[in-house]
This record gives sequence, C-alpha cells and structure tokens, in this order.
Amino acid sequence: MNDERREGSAVATDSAREYLTFTLGEEEYGIDILKVQEIRGYDAVTKIANSPDFIKGVINMRGIIVPIIDMRLKFHLGQVEYNEFTVVIILNISGRIMGVVVDGVSDVIALRGDQVRPAPEFGSVLDTAYIDGLATLDERMIIMVDIEKLMTSQEMGLVDQTHLAVA
Amino acid sequence: MSIDMSQFYQVFFEEAGENLTAMESLLLELDVQAPDLETLNAIFRAAHSIKGGAGTFGFSDMAEVTHVLETLLDRLRKQELDPTVEMVDAFLQAGDVLKSQLQAHQEGEEYEDARVAEVCEHLERLARSDEGGGEAPVSSADQTESETKDTATHWRLAFAPAGIGQGTPGERQALFEALGELGRIQDLGDGESERCLWQLTSTAGRGAIEEILAFVCEPGQVQIDTVETPEASAETETETETAYGFFTDAPGLQGEASPDSAASAPEPDQDALGYGFFEGAPGTEQGTEERAEAPDATSTPDQPQEADFQAEAEIQESDGYGFFRNAPGSEAALDQEHRGYGLFGGSPGMERVAAVAQQDRLDDELGFGLFNPAPGSPESRADDEASAATGAAASTKSAPTRDGRAASGNAPKRPATTDSSIRVSVEKVDQLINLVGELVITHAMLADSAAGLDPVVHERIMGGLSNLERNSRDLQEAVMSIRMMPISFVFNRFPRVVRDTAASLGKKVTLKLVGEDTELDKGLIERMADPLNHLVRNSIDHGIERPEARLAAGKPETGEIVLRASHRGGSVVVEVSDDGGGLNREKLLAKAAKQGIPMPDNPPDKDVWQLIFHAGFSTAERVTDISGRGVGMDVVRRNIEDMNGRVEVDSTAGRGTHITIRLPLTLAILDGLSVRMGEEMFILPLTVIQESIQPRAEQFKTVVGKGRVAQINDEYLPMVSLHDVFNSGQPEPDPLDGILVIVETNEGRAAVLVDELVAQHQVVIKSLETNYRKVEGVSGATIMGDGRVALILDVDALVRLSRRGG
Repeated sequence: MNDERREGSAVATDSAREYLTFTLGEEEYGIDILKVQEIRGYDAVTKIANSPDFIKGVINMRGIIVPIIDMRLKFHLGQVEYNEFTVVIILNISGRIMGVVVDGVSDVIALRGDQVRPAPEFGSVLDTAYIDGLATLDERMIIMVDIEKLMTSQEMGLVDQTHLAVA
Repeated sequence: MSIDMSQFYQVFFEEAGENLTAMESLLLELDVQAPDLETLNAIFRAAHSIKGGAGTFGFSDMAEVTHVLETLLDRLRKQELDPTVEMVDAFLQAGDVLKSQLQAHQEGEEYEDARVAEVCEHLERLARSDEGGGEAPVSSADQTESETKDTATHWRLAFAPAGIGQGTPGERQALFEALGELGRIQDLGDGESERCLWQLTSTAGRGAIEEILAFVCEPGQVQIDTVETPEASAETETETETAYGFFTDAPGLQGEASPDSAASAPEPDQDALGYGFFEGAPGTEQGTEERAEAPDATSTPDQPQEADFQAEAEIQESDGYGFFRNAPGSEAALDQEHRGYGLFGGSPGMERVAAVAQQDRLDDELGFGLFNPAPGSPESRADDEASAATGAAASTKSAPTRDGRAASGNAPKRPATTDSSIRVSVEKVDQLINLVGELVITHAMLADSAAGLDPVVHERIMGGLSNLERNSRDLQEAVMSIRMMPISFVFNRFPRVVRDTAASLGKKVTLKLVGEDTELDKGLIERMADPLNHLVRNSIDHGIERPEARLAAGKPETGEIVLRASHRGGSVVVEVSDDGGGLNREKLLAKAAKQGIPMPDNPPDKDVWQLIFHAGFSTAERVTDISGRGVGMDVVRRNIEDMNGRVEVDSTAGRGTHITIRLPLTLAILDGLSVRMGEEMFILPLTVIQESIQPRAEQFKTVVGKGRVAQINDEYLPMVSLHDVFNSGQPEPDPLDGILVIVETNEGRAAVLVDELVAQHQVVIKSLETNYRKVEGVSGATIMGDGRVALILDVDALVRLSRRGG
C-alpha cells in the first residue's frame, strides 16, 4: 500500500507544489493551497442541532451559508478556545465551501513529491487514510493531509453520501 | 397574446437531459450483485418522467423507447427479475439512444437509426427473459444481429380484430404501437370491414413480429406476408413524377406572398389541395436541392424508407381521405380529416400530427398559436396554423428520412423569437435575486448600526438610509417579478393531455381551467408540470368512469376535470378535481393490507386517502402506459414536498376526488416569524402558523408520563419543544415563560414551544445543502439583519423528530 502511495505522489508531483501549513496543538499540518479559498477570523456561528461536536455550525460568508468544522475537536488536539486570534481556513472542495478552525496558520511552503514520505501505518490507533505522507521542513515534521478526502468522507458527515454519488 | 411552445420544449429538453444523466449515473452506481431497491426506484422514476414528458410533447419515439425501458425496470423494481450486467448495458444503450433522440429533437430534427429498434427489442427480450423459455437468448441475439444488417422488409399483417380479442380501438391501438416499435407501421385497411390490414416496414424479422403478436393471439390467426421491396421501389419510380408535385409547391410556400396558384397557398382548407404538405418541412428552404435529390433517392441505400414514404403518398392519393377512418384508435384522427394532414396516417408519427393539429384547433379557440414555433417548423411567416401543423408534421418520423439528407449540410434552424422579450438563463436571474437579497441584508445591517445615531445630527445619513430601504425593496420586488409567470404555462398543455388520454381510454372528459392568470415562481411552474400531469391522467384513468357507468349513475355522460389555481394568503393553491367515482375506501384498505402497510382499524378517511401516495401503491389491475405502476402519486408527493408544498386529497364516493396542492409563492423568499430559543434564532414559515398563545399551567398535560400534549380549545395537540428536539444543551426554561405556536403540519396540528416571538420578516431562503447537507427539522437557512444565520424550521420534520425523541 505504501508503494502504491509513493508511486501516486511521484506521478502527481513532478514539480513542486505549494501547501498551506497550519498548527493544531503541537502538530503542524499541510494542505494543498489550491483548495484554500481564504483565511478569516472566527465569527459567531449558528449551531446546527444534532450534529457532531466538531461541527460548530454555519456562518454567513457574504451571503453564502458555510459550515464550520473545528479540526481541534475532530483530531482531539489543542486547547479549544475561541478568541479574536482564532483562525478559520475557508476551503473550496469541488465547489463546496466549508471552513475549518485551526490554532494558527503558519506558512506557505513548496514541496516536491519526493520530499513527502509515506506515513507509517498506525494500525487501528490512527486512521491514516487521509494522510498523504509526512514531510520535513527545517527540522519540523509536517503532516500532509488529503483535505478533500477527509472533508468528503462519511466520517465527517459533511456531505450527503448520496449527493456525492450523483455529483 | 401568443405563447411560445418552444419554451416548454426547452424545459422538457432540460428535464429529460437531467433525468438521463441521473439515470446513467444511477445505473453505473447500481451493484448488480446486491441491487439497491431505492436506486432501482430512482432509475425507474427518471425513466418514467422522461416518458411522461416525451408523451406530452408528442416526441413519440422517445416515449416508445422509455416505455420498453420502463417495463423492464418495473419488473426489476418489483423484484420479479434480478438485474444482470447485460440489462445494465442495455439500459445504458437505451439511455444513449434517448440522448441522441433528445439531441435530434433539440435541433428540430428526428433521430432515425436502426439502433432504436435494436435496443427496444433487446430490452423487450430481457423483460421477457424468464417467460420465453422456448427461445434461447443467444440464438435470438444472433438472429437480431443478422436481421439488422438486412435492409427493411415490408410485412403485411392481416387479421380479424374481433377474433383475437383486439376488438376495441384502444386494444388495437396498443398492438399497433407495439408493432410500431419494430419499425414503421401503417394501416392499409378501410376500417369498415371485419379485417385489419397493416403494413409494417421493419428491419426486424418475422420472429420479432410474431413475438409481439404472441401476446395477443395464436400465431396462425394473423397472416403475415412479405411485400416485395422491389415493388415498393417500382412504385416510387412511377411515382416520382407525381411526387414532384409536392416538392414543386414547396419553395413557393416559404412566404405567404407567393404569387403561385392556390395550390401553394397554405390555407386551412388544404384538404382540397391535398399535398401541399411539405411546405412546412424543414427542408423547404432547400426545396430546389430537394428536387434534385428526389430522383437520386430512388437509387440510394435509403431507398426502402423513401420508397415507402412515397408509396404511402400514393395510397393516400388513391384512397382520398377515407384512409384515416381506419387509423386505429384514433377518434382524433377522424377529427383531423377535414384538415387533410392525414398523409402520415399510418405512420408512427401520426398521433403527433393529429395531436398537433388538434392542439392548433384548440388554440384557435383560445386565440393563441401555441404550436407555431414547434421545433422543426421552419421560420415561416405564413403564420397560418396549417403550415405550423404541417411543419410539425414534417418533423415526425417520415419526413426527415428525406430531409436529413437534403438538409444535412444546412441544418434547419430554430425559429428566432421576434417578440420583445429576451431569454435569460435562470442562473442569471437567481444570481440577481441573491445579490438583491444581499443588498437587503446589508441595508438592515447599516440601519442597525445607524440606529444609535442622533437623527438630528445625522439627518442626511438617516434620509439616505430610508431612501435606500425604499429602493432596495422596490428592486427586490421587481427582481422577484422576473421569475413570476402565469400558471397558464403549465395549464395550457392539459387540454391536449386530457383529450389524448380520454380518447385512448374511450372516455368522455372535458377540462375546465380556472385562474390561469395566477402568477407564481417560474421554478415552481416547471416543477408543477410533472405532478399535475400525473394527477390529471390519474383522474381520467381512475376517477372518471366510462360513459355507460356515468349514465347509469345518473351523471352526465361527459366527465369534467377542473384545474383551478388561486392565491390564498402567501401561497398558491392548485386544485385538480374530477366528478368521477371517487376513491374506493375498501379497495385502498385491502391493498394496504396486502402490501403490509400498517393501518389502524377503522382509520379516518383522510388517512386512507393518503395511502395513494405510497411508493408502489396502485389499485389499477392493469399496467397501461397511462397509469397503474404505482409510481405516479409517489412522485407527485415527493415533487411537491420538495417545493415546500403539501398535497391534500378529499374524495366522496360517487361524487369525485379533489386534490389540493398548496405551494409557497416562490422558492426564493419566505414570509416567516423569527422565534428565539435560548441563544439561537429560528424562522417559522408564516404559512404554517395558525396562532400563538401564552400558555397556562393547566394546559400542559402528559401522556404516560412522557408524551407531552397541550390542551388548546378542547383539543390535545402534541407539543414540540425546540429545546428537546435540538438538544440545545441548556436547561429548558419554564414552559410558562415561553410561547406556544400552533402550527399546521402534514399530520395535523401541533404546538411548538419557543422562548420568544421576535419579529416577522421576509427572508431569503438559502440552501444548507449547497455546502453542507440536509439537516433534519430544518428546511433551509437565511441571513438575518445582523448578518447571522438563522435556520428555517420544517414543522413536519420537527413533529416527526419530536415523536422519535419522546
């Protein structure tokens, strides 16, 4: 499976690609910058009943209703507090707009495919299905997340699965 | 006022296109090993919708293909057959054929390909695969293949209709159409005699014909002969000269200013002239080329069809118009006689021709040339209905075989609209509406922040704000009105539907339209078409009794269906009522018991009537192409609920059925009451609210200690607490501090307990599903004046949720 992944990323990333990195607690994550629409502060959200706790609710972003997911709650990382420094990354994933709350946005980095190493298997402890691999940058480890796969996964419950199938 | 029929076509093209795409993706998704019933149902619904639309608009070729498709799907859906990969492939092929047909219609042409017959036959074979044990599928596949390579053969079928149980015109028509799926069929008989004589031009072999006939009779009872093809072509050759007669007229018919003889003038009394009927053909502009083409035609591979076509013309000539009387099942055709468009009499396109002309006549009375710009009709300033009808006729099966070649390099163009309106994509209008919505919100936010300012010091700001408010409100109204259209856009297709359906069922029905001027959102109008179509057809098929039965019941022989639209409060009410037999309570209950639908003993009528909306529920004994598959009412309810509307059925035995559809005025804006629950604001649609009361302690009761009810005016209503349903996480405040809002739901009245009523608003509905997913108990979201999002409550779902939670 690892081989497969390595091959896949080698094909996809002949040249360097840019990633947005952000922190969740002590860990640093990277996502494809092309999926990022904008970064904004955390606003008052409208709660949605009977949804998992990591779905904070929806906000009005210039007339568009956007769901907000707190990654810290999803990954059980970091202190969950909301203040004026709380950052929301607005993602545009195949036409659907959603926001994720993170501890902080750090950088935009360029990585070549061969700089990303496959993540080791953690067995049942951790689902690595959404992790593309690990990259090292200035001694820091960056976890590369396949954000599209993560956000459209059934586990997140963000997208009606039937809807996905049709779309 | 003239209504552009091509606008409806466009709607159909779009709908059908969407349905085809949906069908395809569902098919691809379908797991043959473990088929999901819901998916099969969805595929079936898509096919059914296409068929309905195609039938309504007279695209009979598409309707035929979907009918076959549907038959097989229906069996799969009922789990009589297990899906196989072969079937899925066949469905996909059928989908491709339909797409090509749709494409062709869209360009105003007709799709003609051996593939159509091939696919239909394949599907039929699959549908019968478990019955026709005698026939090995492989060999018949081979047979088909070899046959399709051959050119078309002319088969002559002779039989005595009464002898094979095809005595009524309706039954004959069904058989006629079934055979028509193999190729082109025409009626050569004179109708007067006991025997029917049909000629079928088809690439299918004797086996395929016999297979169809086997449904109704013993093979021996029908005499099947081949007619030599050379004979037909010989006919053509001798006919060529005469045939020229048609074509020569054609060019002159482009403009009504033609100085030609009377023969070329497109006059309604064309029957006297007979064959001016190519004038409207899409190929007309190329009339001269066509003349050159015609002689060639006799020696081209297309020959059999052409030959047949002209041969048909010859028959027509010799027979005069008596020809028509035999056209099976066609009272309508008889009516057409004086029009003289009968030339296509026996051809599969006949129905369409007749119907078009018929519609024209109806329109005549109504005063609009509804069909004039029918696709395929060339841009002819000869606004004469005759030319419109012939134009449409020309786009039916027979003509384009010639036309397709004559005009291949020069495709016929759709008529350009000349009235002073523009067609803008709905997307643009929606965008405009969204922007205006934003503007209104922005204004509300500004007004909010300016509220604290001293009006004396900031007089100009205040003045500006109030101007802005007025302007944005006007703008909003104006923009909304773009989307508003009179409901006549859907209603006007029904005279045709009623006539066709009634004729094919041998019933007498008149249609009364009331309130066609009622305006509602275009999106709603489009989505109303399908449900209304089902309801009207159901009313004719199941509601209105046969003339004899009506007379026996002391009612006038002719049944009446009334379509009524009106504004009532903030909603539009559309009613479909008939004066037929009404719903049969016992039959419905028996059927429910059979299908295992739980019903209480002696349920109220209202609950019994709701049964008809169950998926797969049909009390019809026979499946016809009109109804009986039990899919219609299910779709009706689904469609209407998708529009935030609701359906009610009322029926009195012997007096008729009355179906009421209640819809919001528009999909985009909603009148709502904002209510507070804890920190959150919610919007309750005003249409569901009946009253609000401050509760007293003695009004709250519990049942079995848990189920809470509120006593309102001697009635115990189930109580829904937003805190409970939405698990607000906060301790529930004392209900006595709250307000009870009495709402009307699908399942009767209910009381919703909220903390506070805030204000009444017009809110712009936003979908939660665009970026998120459906949330139970919530129908959408909106943005409040302060920029926050408020959820719009769906009371029906709330009651369900609360019941589950309690």
